[in-house]
Amino acid sequence: MNRDTGVAIFLLLFCGVFFAATFDIRETSYGTPGAGVWPRIILFALTLLGAGYLAQSLKRGRAAGDEAGRGLKGWLATYRNALCCYFLFAVFLLTMPYFGMFLGGVLFVFCTLTALGRRDGRTLLVHGAIALGAVGIMWGVFTYGLNVILPQGELFYGW
Amino acid sequence: MLIDNIAGAAEAVFHLKTVGLMFLGVTAGLIAGAIPGFTIAMAVALTLPFTFAMQAVEGLSTMIGVLVGGLSGGLMAGMLTGIPGTPSSIATTFDGFPMARRGQPGLALGIGVWSSFFGGLIGAVVLMTLAPQLARVGLELGPWDFFALVIFALTVTASLAGPDMVKGLIAGALGLLAATIGEDEVNGVARFTFGSDELKQGFAFLPVLVGLFAFSQLLSDVQDTEAARQPLMPKGAKAVKIEHRQAIAEVLKRWAVLVRSSLIGVFTGILPGTGGSVANILAYDQAKKTSKYPEKFGTGIADGIVAPESSNNATEGGALITMMALGIPGDVTTAIMLGALLIHDVIPSPSFIGDEPVLAYSIFIAFFFAHFIMILMQAFCLRAFVMVTRVPRYVLAAVILAYCAIGVFALSNVDFDLWTLFLFGVAGLVLRSFGFPLAPMILGVVLGNIAELNLSRALTITDTWETALAAFLTRPWSLFFFILAVFSAVFPWFQAARAKKRWTRAYVPLLTLSVSVPLFMMGGWVRPAIGTGLLALGAVLLWRRARHGWPTQDTD
Repeated sequence: MNRDTGVAIFLLLFCGVFFAATFDIRETSYGTPGAGVWPRIILFALTLLGAGYLAQSLKRGRAAGDEAGRGLKGWLATYRNALCCYFLFAVFLLTMPYFGMFLGGVLFVFCTLTALGRRDGRTLLVHGAIALGAVGIMWGVFTYGLNVILPQGELFYGW
Repeated sequence: MLIDNIAGAAEAVFHLKTVGLMFLGVTAGLIAGAIPGFTIAMAVALTLPFTFAMQAVEGLSTMIGVLVGGLSGGLMAGMLTGIPGTPSSIATTFDGFPMARRGQPGLALGIGVWSSFFGGLIGAVVLMTLAPQLARVGLELGPWDFFALVIFALTVTASLAGPDMVKGLIAGALGLLAATIGEDEVNGVARFTFGSDELKQGFAFLPVLVGLFAFSQLLSDVQDTEAARQPLMPKGAKAVKIEHRQAIAEVLKRWAVLVRSSLIGVFTGILPGTGGSVANILAYDQAKKTSKYPEKFGTGIADGIVAPESSNNATEGGALITMMALGIPGDVTTAIMLGALLIHDVIPSPSFIGDEPVLAYSIFIAFFFAHFIMILMQAFCLRAFVMVTRVPRYVLAAVILAYCAIGVFALSNVDFDLWTLFLFGVAGLVLRSFGFPLAPMILGVVLGNIAELNLSRALTITDTWETALAAFLTRPWSLFFFILAVFSAVFPWFQAARAKKRWTRAYVPLLTLSVSVPLFMMGGWVRPAIGTGLLALGAVLLWRRARHGWPTQDTD
């Protein structure tokens, strides 16, 4: 099984789940087409395309240099940095109610810079300055320039 | 009336604050365009959150500034390093880089900048002339026709995915599906919420767009740790003095190439889904084919810079025509502009220019004026651009990810929007890594509601499903767009097998013959006359090719 076959099978399962969910859409009698009609049309087309994609991938066979052959380790090596950024971003979102946008943003940028860049003493200082400066300026522009209220964070309530 | 509208629009655009914002926008666009891997669409998407607190004219003028700056910024990286800053300046490097390496970087940059300027002005003039006319045609379109137009836009965009068109179509369908999540606009019924209250509102446009395009692009840029730690441009890149006078003379000497390429750009832009990345290659190819010295292309000649640079700036004029006249985005950047209009409660449609004349003319004027600002800023800030591009890629990625979060939250102060950004950021990277193009998905998200509303209207107006479906094939504009959709769906196979397989010899004649049918159905005399011309052309081509036995490369 090559990578495209796996993706096509996943797509068909995805269509199946969504198609089943269309039956949970409430029927109306307003004289207009029901709310489930358009999604079903899209899912029908998507299923047909998914089946075509599956047939195409099976016909093609296992392509040279297919990433599926590299296993989980190879995949993790390729996407290590991206996964790291996603993880840090998810942590940033989860901790935002506590740290707020400013401090959370500074910590996120600093951690991301440190995860992706070098980690010697001088570079860490530079990363700290970049994080503070970049997020501080943007936070200032939105808070004072555009009057947007950004999350303050529980840590700073009462300040 | 027209004068009043233009005067009102000019007053709004030339207000000190708007001009200042446009200067900022153009500068930001020039810098973003100069950074390889940082697309114009990404720059325009990241500008969108800053425009919430602005008036519609201010916000759109700023975004147009970014757009025009980005189109012209791409040439700097291409000429100084050989790496195009944006896909719309790929062809510029073919001759720009050799000319710069030959010791004339100032002249190469000058020709590029002034070609962009003149191309943009031609695009702006065509925009001002053609948009109101096309809007009049747009008023003829009913819900059947708009639905067919959306399908055509999606197939054209998907066909640009090349031989993997199935992936392009799947991406488009996924975009349409994403737009159905939440309450539907027709009946107000919740769909695909899976028990989540947050999903009832559906996904906001900006987080989806920024997640799919910017977030995933940034993370794909930092996959290789060593490359991510390198500066965006090699240290050898130096600021040079642009030779304006000589460059203007060189560009104007090639006025035929300039005008032809600009028109190619405008008409490529009018086609929904196609943009500067197609136009610059097409214009370069045409300039080479019609040149008296085609063998010199690629060695660093001025014609090879004038053609792509004038066409890519003119493309946006064309894309804005479609957006303003029909409410259908011409490319990803105008899809974002459409989002900006919706945020300001302005809904582009064929009646947009009539209903919102000041705003419409403001867009015309801002597009025109932004090119003058671009010339000024490019001349003065080249050194600063080179400095910015010495920043390592990972620094830029980390900072912009934080900006994405702040900007997306500012849209409506909803935490869920940040999770939407995250979710679509993951989806974007996964789709990219599996080879799915993202442009059809974005157009799918933007056009999903338009398609559903028009389909619903079409089915409601007609009594039965049978009559509704028949109307899709008997109404001339609907038939016209469906025919174009079918031919654009076949286009990738045609392109791959062109002149190698016999059936490809029938593609163009069949297209012209098929398109002539709805033109005859439209009535009047102009369109049937065009239909007659196309019919005759198709018949002649068919007859000639049949007489020669459908020749292919092998038989030639």
